[in-house]
Amino acid sequence: MSDHYFEEEEFTTQFNGQTILRVARQGLRHWPYMLGFLATIGLVALADSYFTFLTKRIIDDGILAQDPETLRQLAIQYGLLIIAQAGMVFGFIWLAGTLGEKVQYDLRQQMFHRLQDLSLSYFDRTPIGWLMSRVTSDTQRVGELVSWGFLDVTWGVTNILAALGFMLFINWRLALIVLLMIPILVVAAEFKKKILVEYRQVRKLNSKITGAYNENITGVRVVKALRREEENLREFNQLTGEMYRAAFRAAWLSALFLPTVQLISAVAVGTIVWYGGWQFQLGNMTIGGIQAFISYITFMLWPIQEMARVYAEMQQSVASAERIFSLIDAVPEIQDRPGAVDPGSIRGEIVFENVDFYYDEAKPVLRNFNLRVKEGETIALVGPTGAGKSTIVNLVCRFYEPKRGSIRMAGRDYRELKLHAIQSRIGMVLQTPHLFSGTVAENIRYGRLDATDQEVVAAAKMAGAHEFIRNLEKGYETEVGEGGVLLSVGQKQLISLARAILAQPDIFIMDEATSSVDTLTEALIQKGMEVLLEGRTSFIIAHRLSTIKRADRILVIENGQVAEMGTHAELIRARGHYYQLYTKQFRDEMERERDPLFGVQPAVA
Amino acid sequence: MLTGFRWIYLIAVVSVGLAALARTGTYYLLRYFVDDVLRQEGMLGLVPWVALGFIGLALLQGGLTFLSGRMAARTSEGLALRLRNFLYDHIQRLPFAYHDTMQTGELLQRATSDVDAVRRLFAEQVIGIGRITLLFLVNFVALLTLNVRLALYSVVVIPLVLLLSLYFFKKIGEAYQAYQEQEARLSTRLQENLTGVRVVKAFARQDYERQKFEQENREKFLRGRRLITMHGTYWPVTDILCGMQTLAGYYIGALMAINGTITPGTYLAYVGLVVQIIWPIRNLGRLVAQMSTGFVSFERLSQIIRVAREPLDQGRYAPPEGVQGDIRFEDVSFVYRREDGSGQNGTEPEAIPVLQGISFHAAPGQVVGILGSTGSGKTTLVNLLPRFYDYTGGRILLDGVELREYPRGYLRQQIGIVQQEPFLFSRTIRENITYGVGREVSDEEVEAAARAAAIHEVILGFPQGYDTLVGERGVTLSGGQKQRLTIARALLKDPRILILDDATSSVDTETDAAIRAALKGLMANRTTFIIAHRIQSVMDADLILVLDHGRIVQRGTHQELIAQPGIYREVYELQARIEEELEQEIDQAIHREERGAVASGESLERVKE
Repeated sequence: MSDHYFEEEEFTTQFNGQTILRVARQGLRHWPYMLGFLATIGLVALADSYFTFLTKRIIDDGILAQDPETLRQLAIQYGLLIIAQAGMVFGFIWLAGTLGEKVQYDLRQQMFHRLQDLSLSYFDRTPIGWLMSRVTSDTQRVGELVSWGFLDVTWGVTNILAALGFMLFINWRLALIVLLMIPILVVAAEFKKKILVEYRQVRKLNSKITGAYNENITGVRVVKALRREEENLREFNQLTGEMYRAAFRAAWLSALFLPTVQLISAVAVGTIVWYGGWQFQLGNMTIGGIQAFISYITFMLWPIQEMARVYAEMQQSVASAERIFSLIDAVPEIQDRPGAVDPGSIRGEIVFENVDFYYDEAKPVLRNFNLRVKEGETIALVGPTGAGKSTIVNLVCRFYEPKRGSIRMAGRDYRELKLHAIQSRIGMVLQTPHLFSGTVAENIRYGRLDATDQEVVAAAKMAGAHEFIRNLEKGYETEVGEGGVLLSVGQKQLISLARAILAQPDIFIMDEATSSVDTLTEALIQKGMEVLLEGRTSFIIAHRLSTIKRADRILVIENGQVAEMGTHAELIRARGHYYQLYTKQFRDEMERERDPLFGVQPAVA
Repeated sequence: MLTGFRWIYLIAVVSVGLAALARTGTYYLLRYFVDDVLRQEGMLGLVPWVALGFIGLALLQGGLTFLSGRMAARTSEGLALRLRNFLYDHIQRLPFAYHDTMQTGELLQRATSDVDAVRRLFAEQVIGIGRITLLFLVNFVALLTLNVRLALYSVVVIPLVLLLSLYFFKKIGEAYQAYQEQEARLSTRLQENLTGVRVVKAFARQDYERQKFEQENREKFLRGRRLITMHGTYWPVTDILCGMQTLAGYYIGALMAINGTITPGTYLAYVGLVVQIIWPIRNLGRLVAQMSTGFVSFERLSQIIRVAREPLDQGRYAPPEGVQGDIRFEDVSFVYRREDGSGQNGTEPEAIPVLQGISFHAAPGQVVGILGSTGSGKTTLVNLLPRFYDYTGGRILLDGVELREYPRGYLRQQIGIVQQEPFLFSRTIRENITYGVGREVSDEEVEAAARAAAIHEVILGFPQGYDTLVGERGVTLSGGQKQRLTIARALLKDPRILILDDATSSVDTETDAAIRAALKGLMANRTTFIIAHRIQSVMDADLILVLDHGRIVQRGTHQELIAQPGIYREVYELQARIEEELEQEIDQAIHREERGAVASGESLERVKE
C-alpha cells in the first residue's frame, strides 16, 4: 500500500534522439492516423490565419469599398470555411486521440507479452510497483506525446509560419518590425519554464504531505499512546507551511505570466498602431490591414509561450519512453534453446547432477548437489524460513537453471526440453495461494482450460473443496479475489489443490501454509494432497508433521545447504538438525491443537 | 470557512471584472483610433498617444489580472493550508472507535485529493466562472452601447451553446469515469498477473493471460476512443455554432457599416468584442461540472470535521509528581458501540458487550498477567487504562481516584506500551527511540536505553548507526528488533505503568532470551500488565487473570492456579503430556525403522497410513 505514495522520481533527461525516433516509429505503425492528424492540424492552423485575412478583406473590400456584393461573397467564403474547419477539427481530435490510444494499447501489449516471457529472476529484482507504473502512467505519457505533443508542435509551427506569411503579404515592413518581438517572447518562454520548475517543487512537497498523512493515520494508535499529537502537528505545520509558500509562489508566478505576455502583445499592438497609422496616411496600409496585424500578433503569442510547456512535457515523455523500452528490451534469462523438444511427458526419474546454484555469487546456495528422485517418490523439504527450500523447487520448475551441473528429466538434461513442456506438466500449490479475480470455477479451471463443469466439480470433490464451495452464496459462480468474497487461507489452498488436481500434472509441488488452519480444513487439505501424491513425483515444502512423516525422503535445508537427508526414522536416529526441528514442531503443533487459549473468540475491539 | 479571506477573495473576483472592463476599453480605443484619428483629417498627431493608450490599458488589464490571480492564490492556498493542518490534527485526535471503523485508504484520500479538489474550487473554478460571466456581462453591455440591434443579434446561439456545454461536460464526466474504471481494472489484472507470476509460470498459462489482458486492454482502448469521439463531436459542433454566430454578426455589422448605420470604427470594436462573449461560453460547462465535484469533496470533508474529537486535557486531577500506579478495577464492564463509518445516524449503533464484571487490584510495582485466547477481551481490558476507550460500567481507580478524573493526555504520559508488532515511523532509529518521550534527550541517554534494551550492538551494525532510517528507504528490522526499540523507548519514557501487549509470544527463540532480559529490566518498579496466551509469559506474575468471553474465569498466582482445577491447570499440564507423547513418537520411529529394515518394501505402505 505505502509504496503507492512513494515519490515518483522526476526524470528530465536531455532529448535522446534515438528514443524519439523509436517513439515516432510506434506512431508510424498507424501512419494513416499520424499523417491524417498532422495534415488536418496544419490545415486548421492555416484556416485560422485565413479567417483573419478574410476579416481584413471584409473591412477593406466590403465596408470601406462600400461593396455589398463582395461582402456577400466573402461571407459565403467565411461560412464555408467554418464548416470545413469544423470537419478538420473533428478530424484532428479524433485521429490524434485514437492514435494516442492505439499507441498506448500497443505499448501495453508489448510490455505485457514481454512480462510473460521474463524469467522469475527479473521479478525478484524488480518491484511490482515499478512495473505497474511503466504500464500505466509512463504509457499514458508516451501516448500523449505521440498524439497531443506532436500535434501541439505542428499546430504551433504552422500557426506562426502562416501568420508570418500573411503579415508579410499585407505589409512586409511592418511584419519585419513585429518580428523583433519574437526574441522577447523567447524570454517569456524561459519564464514559463521557471514556473514549471516551481510546480515540480510543489508536487514533491505534496507527496511528502501524503506520506506524512499516511504515517499519521496508520500509526494513529501509537501517536495517541505516546501522546505526541502536539509535536506531530508542529512538524506537519512546518511541512504545510513550506507547501503554502511553494504553492503560493508557483501560483502567483503563473498569474504574472499571462499579463506579461499580454503586455508584450500590447507593445506590439502599440507599435502597429503607431507605424500603421503613419502608413495609412501615406496610403500604404488599410484599416483592415491594421486590424489583421493586431489579430495575428495576438494569435502568435499563444503557440510561442505554449512551446515551453510542450517542451517540458516532451522531456518527461521521452524519459517515460526510455523506461518503457528498457522493459520491452529486457531479455528472458531462461528461454528455449534451439532444437528444444517436447518429450510428451516428464515422468520418470529426476536427477540433480553436481548442481551449483546461487542468486548472489558471493552466497552459494547449492554446491555440488546430487539427488536422484525416483518416479512417484515424495520429497519433503524442511528447515527454517529463508534457508533455501524454495530454491530446489524453483530449480525443478526451471524458474531458475543450475549455474553448474545439470538436472535431468525424461532422460535428458532439461535444458534440451521446451520450457512449456516442463511447466505445463507441473502442478503447484503455493503457501499463500494466489487466486485470480473471477469465479471459483474459473480459478479451478485455470489448471486445465478445456475442462468441463463436471470435471471441475470432480476435481473440487477430490480436493475436498466441494463442500465449502457449495455453501458459498453462489456456489461455483462466487466471485473471489479482489472485490470478491473473503476466503480463508485454508479455503484458498483447497481451491488451488483442486486446480492442481485438474491439471493432472506429472510433477506436484506444494508449499504448505505456516499459518494455522482450522483442524477440519487441515484434514481436508491432507486428503486432497494424498490424491495428488499418489503415484506422482512430488516436492513438498513441509510444515506439518503428518506431511513430513509420510514423505519417502526428507531433505533438511539449513543456510542454503542440504544439512541432512534420509527417511523420518533415519533422521530421528541421527539426532541432528531434523531431530530438533521435529521435536520443536511436535510441541508447537500439539499446543496449538489442544491449548484452549489458542482458540479464537469472536473478536470485537 | 472563508474567514479571514473574505475581503481578499472579493478583491480577486472584482479585479477579474475590472480586467474585463479594461479589455473592453481596448476595443473602444480601437474604435476611436479608426473613426476619430485615422478617418479624420489632421489628427495624425494623436497616433502616438493612441499607441500609448493601448499599452496603458494593457498594463491596467495585466495588473488587474495579476492582482486577481495573486489574491485567488492567497485564498485557495491559505485555505488548503488551513484545511490540511486542521485535518491532520483532527484525525490524530479522533477517538479509537472512529479509527476502528474507518479505512486508512479512505481517510488518506479525503485528506489529500478532497482537500485538493476544494483548493481548485476556489483557485480555478469559482474564479473561472466569475471571469466568464463578468466577461460576458461587461462585453454585452459594451455591445449594447455600440448598437442595440447588433448586440441582440449576436447572442442568439448563446443559450444553445450554454446548454450544450452543460450537457456535454456532464456526459464527458461519466465517460471519463468509465475510462478511469477500466484503467483500474487493467491495473488489477496486471497486478494479479505480476503477483501470481509463479502460478502463471507453473501452469504455463502465459498465452491465456495474454488473452485476458488483451480483452481489458482493448476495452480501455474502446472507452478511450469513445471519449475522444465525444470531444471530437462537441468541439466542431460548437465551432460551427459559434462560428456561424460570429459570421452572422460580422455580416450584419458590415451591412450596417456600409449603410452608414454604424461607423467602421464601431464595426472594428464590435468584431473584437463579440469574440469575447461567444467563445468562452463553451468552457462554462466544464467549470460547472468540476465545481460540482468540488462541492462533493467539500461535503465529504465536512463529514470528517463534524466527528467530535477526543479531549486530551479534560479532567481535574493531574498530580505533577506523577502517579504511584495503584490500580483497582471494580466490577468494570465495557460495551462496544460499533459506529458505521459514514457518520450518519440512521440506525442505533450495534452494542456488543466485551467485558463484564472485571474486578481486581494491583499494588504499585506489581505484575498482573492476563491470559486468554484471541478475542477474549484481554487487549480491550488494558486499552481502558490509557482511556483509549472509556469503560461503560463499574469504575477503575488509579491511586484511589477514578480514572475519568484524569485527563487522557496526562494518563498516557504515565503509561508505557510495548506491542508484539510495534509500529515504527519512517524516521531515524534515534528519532524512533525518542519519539513521544516529550523532553530533550541526550545521545548518551539514548544509547544507555538502547544498551539496556539489548539493541545497541545491532544499531551500531547499521550503515549509519543511530541515524539509519527505518522502513522502505532504510533498514528493515525484524520483529524482535522492533520490539527492543520500543522497549528502549519505554525505558526513556520511564512510566509508572507498563503494558506488555503479547510482547513475548512470537519472537525467534534466539532473540527471545535477550528480549526477556530487557523486559525484566523494564518492569522493575513499575505496575505491569502482561497480556499473553502462553503460560510461560505470565508464570512469575503477582496476579494472573484468566479471561474467557470477557469475564475473569480464574485468578491467583501460578502456584495457586496449578493447585485448582480449570483452564490454567489444563494448559499447564498439557506441556508435560506433550513431552511424554513426544518421547513415545520418537521411540516408535526408531522402533519402526528396525522393523522396516526387515521388510524394505514397507515405505509405500507408510505413505498410505
